[in-house]
Amino acid sequence: MTIADISHRKRYLAEGNAYLPHIAVIEKIINETPTVKTFHFNFKDEKLRKEFTFESGQFGEYSILGVGEATFCVSSSPTRMDHLECAVARVGKVTNALHRLGVGAEIGFRGPFGNSFPLDYMAGKDLVFVAGGIGLAPLRSLIWNVLDNRAKYGKVDIIYGARTPRDLCFKYDLEAWEKDSSVNMTTTVDREAPDWTGNVGFVPAVTEKVAPSAKNAVAIVCGPPIMIRFTFPVLEKLGFTPAQMITTLEKRMKCGIGKCGRCNIGEIYVCRDGPVFSYEEIKSFSSDEV
Amino acid sequence: MTKELENKLREEVRNLLEKGKVDRVIGYGAGSLRFAATPLIISDKADVDRLIINPFIHNNLSVFLPDVSGKVAIVAKECDARSIISLVQNKQIPRENVYIIGVPCSGIIDLGKVEKLTGLDRDEIDDISWQGDKVTIASAGGAKEFTAQEVLADSCLGCDAGGFREFDLVIGEMKPVAADKELIRKRIKDMEAMSPAERWEFWKNEFSRCIRCYACRQICPVCFCDRCFVEETEPQWISPLPRWQDNLIFQAVRMMHVAGRCTDCGECERACPVNIPLGILTGKMEDIVEELFEYRAGMDKDAPPLMAAYQPEEAEDLIR
Amino acid sequence: MKKIKKQSVRGLLEKWQKDFSVFVPSKASGSSQMAVWDGQDLAFLDRNRNTVVPPKANFLPNIEKMFGFRKEEDGYVLEPADEDAPRQLIFGIHPCDARAIAIIDMVFRDAYEDKYYLSRRQNTVLVGMACAAPYDNCFCTSLGFGPADATDVDIMLTDIGDSFVIEEITDRGKEAVAGAKDVVEATPADEKKAGEVKASARAMLSKEIDTDEIAKRLPAAFDDKSFWEEIAAKCVSCGICTFLCPTCYCFDINDEMLKDGSGARYRNWDCCSFAVYTRMPAENPREEKWRRVRQKVYHKYSFYPELFGIIGCTGCGRCIRQCPVNWDITETLNNLPAGSAARTEEKQKPS
Repeated sequence: MTIADISHRKRYLAEGNAYLPHIAVIEKIINETPTVKTFHFNFKDEKLRKEFTFESGQFGEYSILGVGEATFCVSSSPTRMDHLECAVARVGKVTNALHRLGVGAEIGFRGPFGNSFPLDYMAGKDLVFVAGGIGLAPLRSLIWNVLDNRAKYGKVDIIYGARTPRDLCFKYDLEAWEKDSSVNMTTTVDREAPDWTGNVGFVPAVTEKVAPSAKNAVAIVCGPPIMIRFTFPVLEKLGFTPAQMITTLEKRMKCGIGKCGRCNIGEIYVCRDGPVFSYEEIKSFSSDEV
Repeated sequence: MTKELENKLREEVRNLLEKGKVDRVIGYGAGSLRFAATPLIISDKADVDRLIINPFIHNNLSVFLPDVSGKVAIVAKECDARSIISLVQNKQIPRENVYIIGVPCSGIIDLGKVEKLTGLDRDEIDDISWQGDKVTIASAGGAKEFTAQEVLADSCLGCDAGGFREFDLVIGEMKPVAADKELIRKRIKDMEAMSPAERWEFWKNEFSRCIRCYACRQICPVCFCDRCFVEETEPQWISPLPRWQDNLIFQAVRMMHVAGRCTDCGECERACPVNIPLGILTGKMEDIVEELFEYRAGMDKDAPPLMAAYQPEEAEDLIR
Repeated sequence: MKKIKKQSVRGLLEKWQKDFSVFVPSKASGSSQMAVWDGQDLAFLDRNRNTVVPPKANFLPNIEKMFGFRKEEDGYVLEPADEDAPRQLIFGIHPCDARAIAIIDMVFRDAYEDKYYLSRRQNTVLVGMACAAPYDNCFCTSLGFGPADATDVDIMLTDIGDSFVIEEITDRGKEAVAGAKDVVEATPADEKKAGEVKASARAMLSKEIDTDEIAKRLPAAFDDKSFWEEIAAKCVSCGICTFLCPTCYCFDINDEMLKDGSGARYRNWDCCSFAVYTRMPAENPREEKWRRVRQKVYHKYSFYPELFGIIGCTGCGRCIRQCPVNWDITETLNNLPAGSAARTEEKQKPS
């Protein structure tokens, strides 16, 4: 059996110099959690603003000129193109600098890079979205993409968890999905917390409880590596095959286009060949350092 | 002579492993290239006969100690043994876990110097033999004789071995090195004689070659920080780009950090692939440490680390 | 074939200087590398051994400006670096280093074209010199070529004593030699002599690896943690073996800013031996040293062949010679655990 190439390795062939960023302007900033902000931005160049396209799952190299670049997915949906969004956790030099910026500030954007979630493969199937923490960012792009084309897909389950209620990102989305009768939404936090009346428990355990059916379904799992590691076995127990499980890999990146070397795992470069992979593909890598 | 020492060393090490006194032994083995020695880390007594001693065992093996678990015996020249004690002083390793086997050292032959003197690559040299004060180098073009001082590593010329009391065992008899302090101080004295502008120009030229491979830091036993300041990004102290200014600052700060820990073993300069004379800096720094604090790194395991201890009565205007 | 007397090479270099920056093997700066010819030194004509810093530095410099930027009233303005690299001629490059350039071409041409590298590449003439005296650390013949292989250069020179025999390999090479004074037709005797020189260099190589056996053993050896721990024990995780490797191309990207808010983005060499290379805030897939050592070996001997069909190593042996602890990649490759055949097979077949 050959590995299903579900995430169509279509390589975006940049015209011109792929290392030159496009200048974009921050239009809005949302404080998601004490350490995560979402930035709404638009390209300065009118023509690019009109012509720019991307697919859910793709990422960009965002820069603050003079400070450096960092890698994040585009967290908005390609079905809603009046602006682009990215969610950024404050963890290092560039992300700290980004958090200090205000509306109107200019950033650099290179991309979109990488492959994307396999919409064709997902069409007509039941979808199970499992996310933890800021891992909801890439999934959120996909979820809105799906909900904006609702008729193309079957049942939609969303299981989302964070450490504490404060750490839940995109609360406005969670609310909207909660209200959407075509979505089965489950939100959870790791431990009991004051004023929290929802689910308590780790994402893998909650997934087991929700027990989505594997029949004609695809599970898309994004979150901290440890969450992914524990969720896959749960899904396997529920009957999902490795080809039915999709995730995005997070690796340190610099160039975004398969040159600089650091996101190498075996024969693949996550930036060039990913970041979206099925669990089946991941198992086939000649390195286990995922 | 060397063979005798080797046999004695192997016998002692076999004994240590057999009696379970140590779990592992760090020594020197034959390298894969002509004249090369290489670090050898063994735990099986079947490997004991791979241990060697010769005038090419330049590595300061104490760099491996913090990463090797269990009770460890280590083969050490006196300069390296001081690094071991320096690590003990700085709480990087417990003294009781290390068994220091001293080997007599009359100096290490610097292959770079041999190449320069003969105009040959080491691959073209058939034999290097050292008898008394003379070193004979044989090649297809015939044999050439040099004095030991001509071919010894700079750090060895500055050797001030003696008075070290921390060996757990000494193989054979410790012997004085054919040191020539005047010769080694010459580099430092030349530096001191320069005007600040000349000195700046000198180091600018030297550090322009640095490729930031960090071999100097990685080979250094007392550069033991888990995270080096050059890797800090908030704040970023120096640019990751290998510009000479940043290279110079990297080395200057590294020197300050190892002051009082560095024993001037010479490994940083030997490791440097672009021949930056780092020994001038370590040598000068050792001088300053000795002059200001009457302190020599790695001599006394119970002495507090120089830069981590302060006495109120110290004459230090800076702090007031 | 043609030839030129050694005493006439000065004239040839001077002719080239008019059109190119001419680089030659040099130790003038204090380290051994390709450096701009000073118009004087010709020592490399009689004695030319591999430089310590490989010629990859001429294509992937350790500090390369990618673009500049400045801040104006209505925002940032980018100033792209020159698209066109200056024309350069590298004189005396050995076959191993020329092969290395051909190997890293594949990365920089793949999918996204890397303008900076390719521009330098397109504007370069490689004047190769058959390696007359390989080092003890050399094993190029194990990688499917040899010390006199002319495949990857534009012009190949072979030292036959008082002259060089010249082979014009590419059109670019022919063009560079065209009209050169003192270049004459080589005699059959010259060509015979050149052939002997090449053969004798080949015979001098003693180090060997068996690439077929290595390819067979690598899949199963990957999971042998104790083997890699032992292999890695004496590595000190410096960057020498990768920075001086002619086929290592990994880089970092960094910004620099001046007080006035203008600045530039650069790239510089980076290295999988450094733990920070892959370190992320929460995780590092290669925090442990043995994983980094394994990565280096596999990237060259397993991943690169899987990606581009060629081993990412030319057997130049710099990593062995310059290593401060004499870590020898051939010892690792020649002692890979055999593993069980079944296990190897299972790993090789797609699941």
